[in-house]
Amino acid sequence: MRRIGVFICWCGTNIAATVDIETVIKEAREMPGVVYAGDNKYMCSETGQTQIKGTIVQQKLDRVVIASCSPRMHELTFRKTAAAAGLNPYLVEIANVREHCSWVHKDKDAATVKAVALIRTAVAKAALDTGLEPQEFVVTRRALVIGGGIAGIQAALDIAEAGYAVDLVERTPSIGGRMAQLDKTFPTLDCSACILTPKMVDAAAHPNINLLTYSEVEEVEGYVGNFEVTIRQKARSVDAAKCTGCGLCFEKCPSKVKSEFDEGLALRKAIYVPFPQAVPNIPVIDRDHCRWFSKKKCGVCKKVCPASAVDFEQSDVLIKQKYGAIVVATGFDLIGFEIFGEFGYGKHPDIITSMEFERLVNASGPGGGKLLKPSNQQPPKNVVFVHCVGSRDKSRGKPYCSKICCMYTAKHAVLLKEKHPEAQAYVFYIDVRTAGKDFEEFHRRAVEEYAAVYLRGLVGKVFPSGDKLLVNGVDTLSNQAVEIEADLVVLAAALTPRHDAEGLARMLGIGSDAHNFFVEAHPKLRPVESHTAGLFLAGTCQGPRDIPETVAQAGAAAAKAIALLNKETLLSDPCVSAVDESLCTGCLACLKVCPYKAISDKPLTEKVHGRQRRRLVAEVNKALCQGCGACSAACRPGAMNLLGFSNEQLLAEVDAICL
Amino acid sequence: MKEIMQKMRAEAARVLSSGEVDLVLGWEKGDLWWQSYPVFIENEKKAELLTWDLFCVPNLAKYLLEEIWHKKRVALFFKGCDALGFNQLMQDKRVDREKAFIFAVPCSGLVDPQKVERAGLHQGLLRVERLGDELTFVYKDREKKTAAPWFYYDKCLTCRYPNPVVFDFMLGEPVPVNPRERFTAVKELEGQNVDARFQYWQRQFSRCIRCFACRNVCPACSCRECIFDLTSPRWLGKATELSENQFYHITRAFHMAGRCVDCGECARVCPVQIPLTSLNRKLIKDIDELYGPYDAGVDPQKVPPLVTFNPGDPAAFLESKGV
Repeated sequence: MRRIGVFICWCGTNIAATVDIETVIKEAREMPGVVYAGDNKYMCSETGQTQIKGTIVQQKLDRVVIASCSPRMHELTFRKTAAAAGLNPYLVEIANVREHCSWVHKDKDAATVKAVALIRTAVAKAALDTGLEPQEFVVTRRALVIGGGIAGIQAALDIAEAGYAVDLVERTPSIGGRMAQLDKTFPTLDCSACILTPKMVDAAAHPNINLLTYSEVEEVEGYVGNFEVTIRQKARSVDAAKCTGCGLCFEKCPSKVKSEFDEGLALRKAIYVPFPQAVPNIPVIDRDHCRWFSKKKCGVCKKVCPASAVDFEQSDVLIKQKYGAIVVATGFDLIGFEIFGEFGYGKHPDIITSMEFERLVNASGPGGGKLLKPSNQQPPKNVVFVHCVGSRDKSRGKPYCSKICCMYTAKHAVLLKEKHPEAQAYVFYIDVRTAGKDFEEFHRRAVEEYAAVYLRGLVGKVFPSGDKLLVNGVDTLSNQAVEIEADLVVLAAALTPRHDAEGLARMLGIGSDAHNFFVEAHPKLRPVESHTAGLFLAGTCQGPRDIPETVAQAGAAAAKAIALLNKETLLSDPCVSAVDESLCTGCLACLKVCPYKAISDKPLTEKVHGRQRRRLVAEVNKALCQGCGACSAACRPGAMNLLGFSNEQLLAEVDAICL
Repeated sequence: MKEIMQKMRAEAARVLSSGEVDLVLGWEKGDLWWQSYPVFIENEKKAELLTWDLFCVPNLAKYLLEEIWHKKRVALFFKGCDALGFNQLMQDKRVDREKAFIFAVPCSGLVDPQKVERAGLHQGLLRVERLGDELTFVYKDREKKTAAPWFYYDKCLTCRYPNPVVFDFMLGEPVPVNPRERFTAVKELEGQNVDARFQYWQRQFSRCIRCFACRNVCPACSCRECIFDLTSPRWLGKATELSENQFYHITRAFHMAGRCVDCGECARVCPVQIPLTSLNRKLIKDIDELYGPYDAGVDPQKVPPLVTFNPGDPAAFLESKGV
């Protein structure tokens, strides 16, 4: 007979207020195999853990059931407690009587009955628990950072400083990301590029950082400590080793294309560096727009290049590399404007996004930072800023607040006045949110010193009238309709994850929310970790945030990665699939459904009626298996069993609830 | 049919005497008009036992599970439905294509003895013959002719693959493919409300005696040890009662999902006439509608829809707003 101990936690009043602990203890004592049932106000506390350890020894317990919060909260805690008392940590079961019971019920009698049922289930499972031993495996001490914006750069620098090799993968030809496109930064108004470019140069120069620009992650396999990643380094068509960055090629190139970096407001050449401070300062040929690649004519860049660096024959290179940890920092896009017809974006050149405003006001941007109307290059007089375009808009846009728009719009109002003292800013807002150090002060300055007019209300329609734009809105504070003759309308568009974030999440095996922002492992306590071990999150790919928060999060993600790389070996989770070869028919449905490529086939030779016979069976790679259980569900004969969650245990649980 | 039978015997004798195979699986005539049984022939002299008539319904493919390991090579005869079952066994890696020498027998339908009995034509019946679309019931002193499809198995009337999709040697000419709509019964059930459907299936399953004939005959049921036979863990209680019967049939249907070749053998062998075809076809129909048309057993190289994941797969269960 088992000797099972049941420990019931009050969690203060979290559980005890809704579940009658005394009844639960009495019932638990009657359950099969239970020799002890006791309670503690806080089972996770020092005294609670001492109680568990002491009882294991005194009562010679061989299985332990803790009725407390979710196993995601404290399973590890209690496993360690049991291990300290000499019990195999995998002989501990958690009955989640908080999240699954007391927190979601009000009726104490009913909740008590449910708590007892949950404990009975856990006891039934515990009775069939077997001690499991984790395996040790070696960690690859190299990190991958995906995304070369400020988050990726910071994470790469921090990891590299700790002494580990880092590959920094960036899709575009240069690192820098969104921050490189910005003009000034709130609330200090220091120049974005001036503070970013030294970091870009540092990253490029760091001996531990290997920049892979114009590259994309194509495939991710493996697991924490041993990811195997395939990176496609797209053909630059310029030999990086020979190029001196003189710029003659793009000076002479005859093909002009809208510049992505300038948000389409200026033209770049088909051979180009995205911006003057680009790192690396090596041009790329945009093959879709290059005359050589489309018509096999021209070739001017190749002719003029003094270093003979232009190479039309270059092809994509696939790099396969192993990594111990991955930091994901893929940044944001702006919401598409197709659904917001009332703002007229795309119908008139003077209706622009705030990102386009950043380029117009930037000294290296189109027009040299003079901030002129795109339509006629005249200085704007009245400028209307619209907050929350797509943000806080459940019906058409995104329900969330994009967080940075209030502040950057205040910044835009200030910058406008600095460039054109006679200009007037009108800001339509729902609320002004300025939670942050010096944020409210900055916003007040925009209103008081720079005379921005804030109108609490929504814009109904923007339409061209002569060489002006008529903005119809409402000021809900005075309850009056407002019509403004504007020269420029700036839309503070909602931040969204990159358009292809969903695909990346799937490739990496990390979770994403309804809006495709990557999901952290715990919103409070594990904000930079993903649900998948060894994958960390930094920056706006996880949710809207500003630069200092991004930098802080990148540092935190780097710290987590460093802590991982610091270990020579890791222990694997022993809750993996195991094959019963006598039952396995070798159909290999498991192999097809396994998302981790952890299953392979293996020939088995056995004697049947005196004859040798060979047949195929499935085999599980314990290091690759993540214990998801897909194989177990797909296996018809029940030959696949997830250790720690075996078929027997699940059936025992069902019986304990239903019978 | 007689011509094909002659060819069958000649070919069987040929492949046995040449040593190409060391066993032939076919059918032989039993004592009564409706009996055509599987027969194992190892000696070419016994090839004369082979028969091909309107009652050669058992699928021979599943015998390969036991025999193929010991034999060098086995020859066998497949109707269209049998070939689909063989392909499913191949997909499950339970048979070895190299070890099977397959004779294809195009089949335009077989006679259901129960339909003959119900029509009162069975008394004193000696044999049934077919010429074109006409059946001749032969008695001691008289003959009766009728239209053939009246007496075909229901499964033959909806058959979409009467010509074997896998073979080494074809006996006879391919027959025309002209199936009736197979989802009629399923659509009728779908039209009923949840309670009515539940009651319908309860009525059906309450008859089950758990003889497991449906499982044993099924070409997609080829596990070394069936979970319904396991004692640890004991998935299925031994008592023959409604809830266990339901569990058995529903679980089996899910094990068949995306793998059922719709050969109809389960329903044919059921001694209590549970309409298992409707259960299987409901899953076939759902899979067709959710993931695009897929016919199990047609191409064993094709990856079945339920063991693949496509980001675009419909996920109605995720989007439903609750009941």
